[in-house]
Amino acid sequence: MIFEILRMALDSLTANKLRSFLSMLGIIIGVGAVIAIVSVGSGAQSQVTSQISQLGSNIINIGPGISRGRNGRISFSATDVFTMELANQLLNNCPSLSRITPNVQSSGLLIAGSANYQTSVVGVTPSYQEIYDYYPALGQFITEEQQENATNVMILGAGLAEELFPSQNPLGEKVKLFIRDRKLLFVVIGVMEEKGTGAMGNLENQALIPASVILKKINNRKYVNGYTAQAVSTGVAKTAVGEVEYFLTRYLTDTDKFRITSQEQILDTINQVTGTLSLMLGGIAGISLLVGGIGIMNIMLVSVTERTREIGIRKALGAKRKHILSQFLIESLAMSSFGGLLGIGLGWLGAMGVSKIGGWPLVVTHTSVLVAFSFSLLVGLFFGIYPARKASKLDPVIALSYE
Amino acid sequence: MLIKADHLRKVYKMGTIKVEALKEASFQISEGEFVAIIGPSGSGKSTLMHILGCLDQPTTGKYLLDEHDVSRASDDQLAEIRNKKIGFVFQQFNLLPKATILQNVCVPLIYSGIRGRRRQQKLAERALQMVGLGDRMNHRPNEISGGQKQRVAIARALINNPSLILADEPTGNLDSKTGKEIINIFQQLNNEGHTIIMVTHDQEIANQARRVIQLRDGLIQRDEVIS
Repeated sequence: MIFEILRMALDSLTANKLRSFLSMLGIIIGVGAVIAIVSVGSGAQSQVTSQISQLGSNIINIGPGISRGRNGRISFSATDVFTMELANQLLNNCPSLSRITPNVQSSGLLIAGSANYQTSVVGVTPSYQEIYDYYPALGQFITEEQQENATNVMILGAGLAEELFPSQNPLGEKVKLFIRDRKLLFVVIGVMEEKGTGAMGNLENQALIPASVILKKINNRKYVNGYTAQAVSTGVAKTAVGEVEYFLTRYLTDTDKFRITSQEQILDTINQVTGTLSLMLGGIAGISLLVGGIGIMNIMLVSVTERTREIGIRKALGAKRKHILSQFLIESLAMSSFGGLLGIGLGWLGAMGVSKIGGWPLVVTHTSVLVAFSFSLLVGLFFGIYPARKASKLDPVIALSYE
Repeated sequence: MLIKADHLRKVYKMGTIKVEALKEASFQISEGEFVAIIGPSGSGKSTLMHILGCLDQPTTGKYLLDEHDVSRASDDQLAEIRNKKIGFVFQQFNLLPKATILQNVCVPLIYSGIRGRRRQQKLAERALQMVGLGDRMNHRPNEISGGQKQRVAIARALINNPSLILADEPTGNLDSKTGKEIINIFQQLNNEGHTIIMVTHDQEIANQARRVIQLRDGLIQRDEVIS
């Protein structure tokens, strides 16, 4: 029986193709909009996320904490905390950490031949290249030995190399560095790859020298600003944060002296923001689904009135309430579900277009498709019930005499 | 006794005014009868037909169909009775315009829960052949003549093998020649044992039945066997 009723419903929909399509249009656009918007949202999100994870989502920053100034104490940044020894201790005591490199930098004037350039000079250790996923394109990186001996070697950022040595091989050349009242002579041993401006700032114009050189020969102190560490994997990044926190709290006996931020925390925040945003936009698109539902109800009511006589005939021939009810309900469900399917197609196309323009990956999640589709079914059910009930309750005598 | 109508009365409320469409009707109809219910418009014959056809229920009084009291049955029970026991033939034919003739004849089968499209179609084909329309099954109602439409309606009325065929002005929309053909079909069906009640305002048509019940102002004025 259900097949017969289904067939009757489909027959009547195909008999009024244009009208059925027009009343489906609201659902089509609604579902399409939900899917396209959610997809654009997640596409943009995944682009931002992937940019950040390019830096490594297993990266942990350890920096100085800032103590609160109260009761006459002056607020200060705890700078005299992080030493090279502490870095090694952290690495030895935190099994989830794979690498660690100090954050120490200065800025000065670089002179090579007749060219000079004011830039920042970053102190690095060999782990730096793996942690930042940033490698020399030419020559080599600083070795463990050069770090140990505080050798005056320098690696130039790609942009800096172009500034100081235009169209010339800088390897083996000498560069003078003026910082405050000091003057140091470096040998260029490498040029870094081009990386562009990313979330880490512009790396192109930096000069990299052994961290020990900055500490011993420029700053004359043993403290660095903090560390950048790398967890063994993304999965244990949280564990690593816990280990570092535990170790430093015991070692420094003061949680105010340090602050740990993981890349994952930043990611979480961004995901939360973009998630909320696409949920909100999806919700707004959902309203159009609701409007589509009202369109379906409207056309179903018209259809019930138009077919009053048919309802009367069917009732006279033995149709019970449930038969008439299901016939009209199936009609509105068929309209909304078919509209939903077309809407999924439309949304997919829309998302594809926008992702092409925006240059991010096409992300159409199963969840958004399922949610939008079942919502359209729900709309069909909800807005179909009233007209269907109205039809099923018609008095056969009155319905039969309806002109 | 197929039909036992006992003090049937029907009052319609139209706003605050009560209209007594049927004041009092008591009669019995046995199986195999061919009864014409006749009367001018406003005599209550349509109301009586609606009650006899289980499309409506009397305000007071009792209506027994096949020994079942249907005057207090629920809507869905009435629907089932209409489906199984009554075959309707209307003045307006009342075919579904978008369905083919075969599909139209199948409609009562859908609601009686007879499964299988093949089986339904077979039954419908047989019914259509009985009324001489075996070759028009895939046409739509607007492609055939009025007389043919009424034959389709008769085939549809017969398909569930009902106890009672109820015809409401079956010749009202037909010319006299075609009307006569339709009456002939009814007479033939009656000869085969079908019980037929025919509502009409046409005395000549009524005379083709075997018994005439005449209504006037909601009361039975005459009830006699004529042949």
